[in-house]
Amino acid sequence: MEALEAIDKAHGESSLAQLEKGLEFRKIARSLFKSKAALAGLFILFIVIASALLAPYLAPQDPIAQDINNRLKPPVWDPKGSREHLLGTDHLGRDILSRLIYGSRISLIVGLSTVLISGTIGILIGLIAGYYGSWLDDIFMRLADIQLAFPFILLSIAVVAVLGPSLRNIIIVLGITGWVVYARVIRAEVLSVRELEFIEAIHALGGQNLRILFRHILPNVISPGIVIATLEVARMIILESALSFLGLGVQPPTPTWGGMLNDGRQYIYNAWWLATFPGLAIMLTVLGINLLGDWIRDTLDPRLEI
Amino acid sequence: MKKHLIRRFFQTFLVLLGVSIVTFAILHLTGDPTALLLPQEATAEDRARFRHEMGFDDPLIVQYGRFLKGALRGDFGLSFRHNQPALQLVWDRMPATVQLTLAAMLISVSIAVPIGILSAVKRNSLLDHVGMVIALLGQSMPVFWLGIMLILVFGVKLRLLPAFGMGGIDHLILPALTLGMFTMARTARLTRSEMLEILGQEYIRTARAKGVPPWSVILRHALKNAAIPIVTVIGLEMGTLLGGAIITETIFAWPGVGRLTVQAIYNRDFPVVQAAVFTLACIFVLINFVVDILYTYLDPRVRYE
Amino acid sequence: MKKSPFLLGILLTLTLNLSLTSAEPQGQVVVAQGVDPSTLDPHNHQETPAFNVLLNMFDTLLHRTPDLKIEPLLAESYKLIDNKTWEFKLRRGIKFHNGEDFNAEAVKFSLERIANPENKMKQLSSLKFLDHVEIIDEYTVHIITKEPFAPLPAFLCLYGSMVPPKYVKEKGDTYIATHPVGTGAFKFVKWTKDDQLVMEANPSYFRGTPSVKTVIFRPIPEATTRVAALLTGDVDIITNVPPNLVPQIEGSGQAFISTAPSVRVIFVGIDTLHGGPVADKRVRQALNYAVDVDSLIKNVLEGHGFRVATPLTKDHFGYNPDIQPYPFDPDKAKKLLAEAGYPHGFDLILNSPDGRYLNDKQIAEAIAGQWQKVGIRAQVKTHEWGNYVNMMYTHKPGPVYLLGWGNSTYDADNTYFPLLHTGELLSNYSNPEFDKLIEEARITMDENKRRELYHKAAELIVEDAAWVFLYQQEDIYGVNNRLNWKARPDEGLVMVDVTLKK
Repeated sequence: MEALEAIDKAHGESSLAQLEKGLEFRKIARSLFKSKAALAGLFILFIVIASALLAPYLAPQDPIAQDINNRLKPPVWDPKGSREHLLGTDHLGRDILSRLIYGSRISLIVGLSTVLISGTIGILIGLIAGYYGSWLDDIFMRLADIQLAFPFILLSIAVVAVLGPSLRNIIIVLGITGWVVYARVIRAEVLSVRELEFIEAIHALGGQNLRILFRHILPNVISPGIVIATLEVARMIILESALSFLGLGVQPPTPTWGGMLNDGRQYIYNAWWLATFPGLAIMLTVLGINLLGDWIRDTLDPRLEI
Repeated sequence: MKKHLIRRFFQTFLVLLGVSIVTFAILHLTGDPTALLLPQEATAEDRARFRHEMGFDDPLIVQYGRFLKGALRGDFGLSFRHNQPALQLVWDRMPATVQLTLAAMLISVSIAVPIGILSAVKRNSLLDHVGMVIALLGQSMPVFWLGIMLILVFGVKLRLLPAFGMGGIDHLILPALTLGMFTMARTARLTRSEMLEILGQEYIRTARAKGVPPWSVILRHALKNAAIPIVTVIGLEMGTLLGGAIITETIFAWPGVGRLTVQAIYNRDFPVVQAAVFTLACIFVLINFVVDILYTYLDPRVRYE
Repeated sequence: MKKSPFLLGILLTLTLNLSLTSAEPQGQVVVAQGVDPSTLDPHNHQETPAFNVLLNMFDTLLHRTPDLKIEPLLAESYKLIDNKTWEFKLRRGIKFHNGEDFNAEAVKFSLERIANPENKMKQLSSLKFLDHVEIIDEYTVHIITKEPFAPLPAFLCLYGSMVPPKYVKEKGDTYIATHPVGTGAFKFVKWTKDDQLVMEANPSYFRGTPSVKTVIFRPIPEATTRVAALLTGDVDIITNVPPNLVPQIEGSGQAFISTAPSVRVIFVGIDTLHGGPVADKRVRQALNYAVDVDSLIKNVLEGHGFRVATPLTKDHFGYNPDIQPYPFDPDKAKKLLAEAGYPHGFDLILNSPDGRYLNDKQIAEAIAGQWQKVGIRAQVKTHEWGNYVNMMYTHKPGPVYLLGWGNSTYDADNTYFPLLHTGELLSNYSNPEFDKLIEEARITMDENKRRELYHKAAELIVEDAAWVFLYQQEDIYGVNNRLNWKARPDEGLVMVDVTLKK
């Protein structure tokens, strides 16, 4: 039993426990400030989150107020632009800057909540399937096959037909469909980790399955999961725009980056600003998430010594 | 292994059954297809008669039984819209889709894996940063946007490549790039992070200390160990690409299965949706099977009892 | 056999001359629509893209000229014999592409093929007025309707493509769905679904050989791609150009724009049968006064639309030219709302499809924006088309809903009856007086009397504000400069009209 605790301790300190323990906070902060990239990522995300939270105070105009006679006005630096609309207006004469600021709300909500849902489901399933193997593994992996073979547009249409079109339902659809990638990657990692000597040692020492799973295996397999999660946040934000492209997106007049990008695609030839600014916003946010994600991965990485 | 194969085969059957039930149930949630199939001026009696003829007024379980009976014999029925055998319609499109998927896979993997390895080996170098930016672009651009941009630049402005449709190998480049971009980004990032992790481990250091040439360490020892999650994701992407090329196919007017399926979904053409989902399910199962076999090859510790 | 070189020379020059003088069809034209036909069976579809393709390979008894006059095509002449009997004299000497003769039997077979419920043709409901066809002699038929049916000629311009009876019976429905044989100006060559459909000039077409040799239809769903394909010269005619891309095409030096008023009218339907504020006529009138339709057309459609005051366009039989559209008058709207008991407005959901009609979502958003300015708290909800259609047919369209209606028979009956007659599938309105007028018009054979009835009917629904009347779309085509071609108001892509510039 002592040996078990020792392993727990040695192992825990370099991994998840770090985040749990307030004592370690300074260490984390120091490592954060050492990494310029992570700092930059944090800064970008800070701006995005701030604009989402403070949208009503930051936005210069009402994001849904139309002024149809002033449609497609270019940004301020264009000779035809005006100071009233710093980034120009869209096809219904709405202020693009204000829509961008408000749009950060929806994009963040969609990106984060869907990843939270699908990541939690997927990682849990991956752990269980990989660790317990046999019929549990079979069931979950065949469920994954079914999920993958099933076109997600069909699910979107069905959900919308039954529950009606709304933001919540879009999150449900995206959240449900995203779990497979986590599950399969985590499972594959677990498959190779569970045979490692130290896991077998813990087993031999009488460690309980759940404890082994979450305390020893999870920290060792979480790293690709986190990389995937950071990628998925970006993918979900973009999927929302794909849904708009297919006519299944967030309801108007709610501004979303994906929806704005989709509306702007018609105007690529003659009003580039409609799509460029939401495109840049998505790109920067994705950059920020990736930079921060890299750092989290490095911090969590237990750097197993065998 | 033999036992494993038999079990897997049996499971495949269950998967296909599961897929067909889920598809059937969800299709019926999307509503009665009569409204879409009959013209605007059809009367209520016309609609009732049509519903009866098509069997839409039977209990769902009866309708499913009828479907299953046909499906077991490989008969998915006639497309509501095209009046052609549904499975045939899907298979006619398969070559176009497979062609596009393979090209996208080839482009993305052959670019992504080297970039991933190099940026891991030369971490924080210029190369690493450039690779990161490319991956970032790939991730943050919606497919429809990228596709339209490529058409405008390479098709209309530079006149280098055909803007749409199927044809010679030159017709493949833009749609394959569009479709493969996200996979490329994802694979590059994953390769980099996996390589970084493995390169930091003891046995790699040991190998280096023993004087194994650096590139041999990277390719033979590190890459092989990093390969499991990469192969998993590539396998998954392959599946998503096959079924998820809808937007690329729409933008480039590519006559593939994705477009057929999405049209069938929009038109509530149940037989075609069923046939398409069934075909895709078969392919997914096959790909996953190959991936699982690859695991055992890549990592002898993984075994199927 | 010996031939002198001299004779051979004469023969050669003769053949050369022949080929020069007989105006052989030449060149190739590629047409891109958004959607591929679902089938090439001319009786088993109800879609504009399929009509457009098939009218090049099949002919109907009657057709419309580019200015929409009804004219005999395969028929030589037609007349009404009694209330329910129409006599059609057929043109002689016409052959199907496979050599079968076109005659009275072909007419009987083709029309009854659609009208027989057992065949389950998708055009069945459009020809359900038909009782049977009687063969009088080889080139004369009587078409007998169940009830007196005044709009019959209009219907036969669109429906009843002539197919060869022997071929269809021999090969069966499934085969001919991909191997069409008609009498039309072009013969079928091959079809790769969703990729391309190739046809070739029919040298013995009865109205003269087409001037273009090969016509290819290609579906390109995405509008920006269609425009790109036109600009690169890969495609010669494209349909449904988005209004904001018109300047790009015009400025390209490659192609020009051709427009025609569309048969489609866009309106906001109102569910007057389920209570709520919109059950009140004053509220409905207020909804009309509050919308600045001219601004919608000018801005959202960039000028490509025509204001309408009634559900009909000026090309439709029964159009009442005396009715003026509701003027844009927000103050009057506010006043009417106050009178109706809503001085502070009310909540209203405007349902709309997304991507079905030209800029539909934007139009709905703009209308909601204008309603908000008079105090109505309007919100747009967009729906996937399949779900939307089901909402329409189950009479759950919501209080107000954006819808388009393309009445290709150009007869008021086909608009008023399905959309506004009490109890009809797409009607959420009830007005017994109006019902009586259009019921009477349907069985009135005298054109002037019929017109009169429809005029009165229109006055009723406009005064009662049964809808929010909006506009008629304009169809916009992009055409390569090397072509002579003009858009038609009936959306037809008639390739026999195309000539190539030298």
